[in-house]
Amino acid sequence: MDLASMLYLGVTFGLFVVFVLIFMHTYSKKRKEEGEIAKYRMLDDD
Amino acid sequence: MWEKNPILLLILATGAILVGTLVTMVLPFAWVNTEADRIQSVTPYTALQQEGRDIYIREGCNNCHTQTVRPLVAEVIRYGDYSKSGEFVYDRPFLWGSKRTGPDLARIGGKYPDEWHYKHMASPRSMVPRTNMPAYGWLSKNSLDPQMIERKMNVLGFPYTSEEIKALEGKNEMDAMVAYLQKLGTGIPWRQATTTTIVGDLKNPYTRIGHAAMKPWEEIYTANCAACHGGHMEGDIGPELDVADMDDSDLFEIIYNGVPDDGMPPFSSLGADKVWKLVNFLKDFYTAEEQK
Amino acid sequence: MNQTAYDYDIVKSFVNWSIVWGLVTVLVGVIVSLQMVEPALNFPPYLTFGRLRPIHTNAGIYGWGVGVIFATFLYIVQRLCKTPLWSPKLARFQLWFFNATIIASAITLLLGYTSSKEYHEMEWPIDVMVVILWVAFGLNIIMTIIKRKEEHMYISLWYMMAAIVGVAILYLVNAAAIPVSLFKSYSAYAGTNDANVEWWFGHNAVAMVLTAPPLAMFYYFLPKSTGVPIYSHRMSIIAFWSLIFMYLWTGAHHLLWTPVPDWIQTLAMAFSLMLIAPSWGSVFNGYLSMNGQWHQMRENYLVKFLIIGITFYGLQTLQGPMQAIRTFSAFIHYTDWIPAHIHMGTMGWVSMISFASIYYLVPRIYGKNLYSIPLANLQFWLILTGQLMWSISLWIAGVLQAGMWNAMNPDGSLTYTFMETMVEMYPYWWIRVGGGLIYFAGVVVFIYNLVMTVRQGEPAVTTESAPVAGRA
Repeated sequence: MDLASMLYLGVTFGLFVVFVLIFMHTYSKKRKEEGEIAKYRMLDDD
Repeated sequence: MWEKNPILLLILATGAILVGTLVTMVLPFAWVNTEADRIQSVTPYTALQQEGRDIYIREGCNNCHTQTVRPLVAEVIRYGDYSKSGEFVYDRPFLWGSKRTGPDLARIGGKYPDEWHYKHMASPRSMVPRTNMPAYGWLSKNSLDPQMIERKMNVLGFPYTSEEIKALEGKNEMDAMVAYLQKLGTGIPWRQATTTTIVGDLKNPYTRIGHAAMKPWEEIYTANCAACHGGHMEGDIGPELDVADMDDSDLFEIIYNGVPDDGMPPFSSLGADKVWKLVNFLKDFYTAEEQK
Repeated sequence: MNQTAYDYDIVKSFVNWSIVWGLVTVLVGVIVSLQMVEPALNFPPYLTFGRLRPIHTNAGIYGWGVGVIFATFLYIVQRLCKTPLWSPKLARFQLWFFNATIIASAITLLLGYTSSKEYHEMEWPIDVMVVILWVAFGLNIIMTIIKRKEEHMYISLWYMMAAIVGVAILYLVNAAAIPVSLFKSYSAYAGTNDANVEWWFGHNAVAMVLTAPPLAMFYYFLPKSTGVPIYSHRMSIIAFWSLIFMYLWTGAHHLLWTPVPDWIQTLAMAFSLMLIAPSWGSVFNGYLSMNGQWHQMRENYLVKFLIIGITFYGLQTLQGPMQAIRTFSAFIHYTDWIPAHIHMGTMGWVSMISFASIYYLVPRIYGKNLYSIPLANLQFWLILTGQLMWSISLWIAGVLQAGMWNAMNPDGSLTYTFMETMVEMYPYWWIRVGGGLIYFAGVVVFIYNLVMTVRQGEPAVTTESAPVAGRA
């Protein structure tokens, strides 16, 4: 594998890790209520 | 985190947008239009051609005509050699288009004589009976503005001479448009390369077919030849077709490969069978009719 | 309980003007569709297909599309942030400047001042106007969000912010040009580079104008209309990040088989297929929100518009990736299939959501019940029929023409000349005219219904919280 291919693979892997981190952050158990509260709040104003 | 912080969210969203932008839009500048895809024979537009290009843009021709031939079999046969990046280095903006209501024009240059274009632009249906192309004869009434064109050439950094600018006096927008069309796709010598060399003897498959059997072939003539050679071969842009005495195989070769220097386009894309039908039709149909 | 003095006047004005431009778009659309079948209907120099078609597309995207975005965002942002607009004066300026920009665009395009770049035809002075307009709009929205009284930011706000920065970046980069005079400029990029920049812009204009903002509207107006929250806020967040990240890689799927480097085309193809996931994330979020609420499809006309709209979004985001595959693109590109695809998105998805949003807004900002729900239902069926006639006839036309373009004889020659394939299109183009007229009738019914609502609608007895005005 040449340098360029390794670089591409590295970038791809890095981006995938970022995605997994966002996913884990968003769906973490302790943030469940916090993550869903906005959808209820938008209904109750007016 | 970003869920409650709009500034942070904006920054992160911008970052997300910029990754793909950087890779697929910014990075390509390092490879495209560099020495690697330069083609020596491709030259900038002349003052007249560039003005024609600007009129093409003004009239929105790109809404119906594309200017890029894809490397696909049927497409290369229909239009000519596929487009190369180096052919477009002087195009600002690019005019590849996205819809072919009319045919692709990337290789239109040199296909027809100038006169064909003048007639076709003035009255498309007189040349192509059921076309939906609007008439553009009014372009002939508009004269050019040499001063403005010179300014454009300077902005583009294209070479020009003062004689070239002076020659624009008295020319009209139609002249510019035709000059532009005739330049399209001629940056590489593709026409010469695609001429078919016929090997072996050509044998006419339809000798002595008889007049009645030829009647359905008139359609092939009307669709492909009549615009230039007249409804009854009497000649118009192209010469009168007095070919009765011509050798079958010579006539076949003229139709099949065309005579580029005289403005006769090749009709090889019709296929050998239709070309043979035309050969017989041209030689015998109307003469037989007269003798009846 | 509503103590906040929201600014509805500006919303009213934007609703009115967006509808004016929507009507212009559809009308010009019908005219150009007639010019396709009858060239004698071209009246040079101004009223030719080549000059009118960009007016149709730009009035659609910037007049109708962006007009509705302005109207709904200025409403939504106040409600979601529970605070009035940051600057009503700036919004007032934005309104006038918006109309000035659209009118200037229409006039200059008629006069033939065009850059020729699709969906960005306006010449550089109008680009400057668009930039000023967008800054005025973006600043007002972002500042309102910053000074909000509601701590949590609902997903609609996320899409709004992404659209604001997205459009800004795209428009500025693609507008770069060297002026020759006030109305003529040359692109800063040449040939293949220019093509690649243009379609990076073009496809992401679809993302940032015709996807993110309608999603913001959908996520707001669906729960507001049904009275139940969306299925999952967290799922909408994952879809959000994936969508805005992946879209930007896909521009070159408009340039498959062209001289643009192969690796860019391949990336575009791959990312286009991956985009199905976040797109359908939103579709499923919408469908799952309807759990136990499907009876509202019958009872609540707003829900019908919204759910059919998101369904067309789902179809659009399956058909799009399909077309982005090299082999399929080779067959279908440049035919009438392509405008059929675009119009399923614009007429079926974006406009369906826009009509629903306006139906939701007008009774609330005028404090009156809708004049006629049967008329709203009639409009629904008119625009649905018009659009399906339009799209389906041209899908068939596209496949037919593509087949004829590629048909070859045993000796390797072409079976059909170009003209032989083109004349086969006429019947389908006539059907399109019919579809356009039906759609136009739908828009007229829509306008009539709204005018009558404002003039004769019964005052709404309830406060805005009760979705009574939206129920049949």
